[in-house]
Amino acid sequence: MNGSALNGMTEPNTFYPKNNTSMRIKTKDLIEELVEKTKNHLNELNKLKSLSIENLNYRPGPDKWSILECVEHLNRYGRFYLPEIESRIEQSKSLAEDEFKSGFLGNYFANSMLPKVKLNTMKTFKEMNPIGSDLDESSIQTLIDQQHKTLDLLSKAGSVSMNKTKTSISISKWIKLKLGDTFRVVVYHNYRHMVQIKNITKELSI
Amino acid sequence: MDTNLLAKKIKEAHLWEKTIDLERNEFLKVKGQTDTNLYYVIHGSLRIFVYHESEEHTIRLGYKDNFIASLDSFISESPSNLCIQSIKKTQLKVISKKSFLGFIHSSNQNLQIWLEVLNQLIYQQIEREQDLLITSPIERYKRVLQRSPLLFQEIPNKYIASYLRMTPETLSRIKKS
Repeated sequence: MNGSALNGMTEPNTFYPKNNTSMRIKTKDLIEELVEKTKNHLNELNKLKSLSIENLNYRPGPDKWSILECVEHLNRYGRFYLPEIESRIEQSKSLAEDEFKSGFLGNYFANSMLPKVKLNTMKTFKEMNPIGSDLDESSIQTLIDQQHKTLDLLSKAGSVSMNKTKTSISISKWIKLKLGDTFRVVVYHNYRHMVQIKNITKELSI
Repeated sequence: MDTNLLAKKIKEAHLWEKTIDLERNEFLKVKGQTDTNLYYVIHGSLRIFVYHESEEHTIRLGYKDNFIASLDSFISESPSNLCIQSIKKTQLKVISKKSFLGFIHSSNQNLQIWLEVLNQLIYQQIEREQDLLITSPIERYKRVLQRSPLLFQEIPNKYIASYLRMTPETLSRIKKS
């Protein structure tokens, strides 16, 4: 981790929650959890295929995203992270380990993705903001394909070290995360927006 | 059929653990999961496939009164590549590997039934292996039609076509001729 990356940002003590203790988990259990979540995402996405284009484009508020905008936002992240994860796994020379220990930043990023009971809002980077894009149902199929790709990569990840293999992240070129944390960030981020989508479908009562 | 007898005996022994309802196109299992359960189809239909480079390759199809499982995971108790997805709204009964093994070893008769089911399964696998090696699509179609006529009533064309390794267009052309 490059310490200088934090210069100019908020003081670490206020920026990070104090209870951000790093997490230890059996690698097998981590993969299982992420696969299970991804399976649920696939099943939710399948249901979206039968919605009308009006429902898919419905915005719950003037600055709120529609279902298709949530989907497109996730696609944009996937387009960065999935090839990045794939090439890091392919290049990795480290062997699989029984246990994964999350990194300090990685654990913070991953946990901050998980939605609170009442979905909290987060800031989106401009290039990841889908508002105003021209979208159709094909975005849903793209995200479904990305979920299958994620499952594929999670299977491959079983044969390398989730600790020693590192990946870049989309928001800063100075920070690298452990592969296990990157997977958590990606899948938890998907989860966050799948919850958001679920809330929109509830509002539409469909 | 021995599989029906097996299902009946599991019911009599009160070993079905639960019922699962699947919506249309819902995944029961995805790549990377370990699933050692054995399922019995009450109604509906499912497909077992592998997803490779955005393409789906159908391995097995299941419908009413069939047993279905991710057999590789069932045997090895480790993650497998197979995906199981419902085609229609589907209802399944579930038995875990542990209680199933307990059940088949509880009597000589149960063990015999299971052996017979396994024999049939091996036989079907060899038939299937030949299907896949046959170049003529018509020949592949005829073999499956003869073996499982019910398949064509229960499963939509596009999945049968994938099972037969041909396009849906080729299948409908063959069916017409």
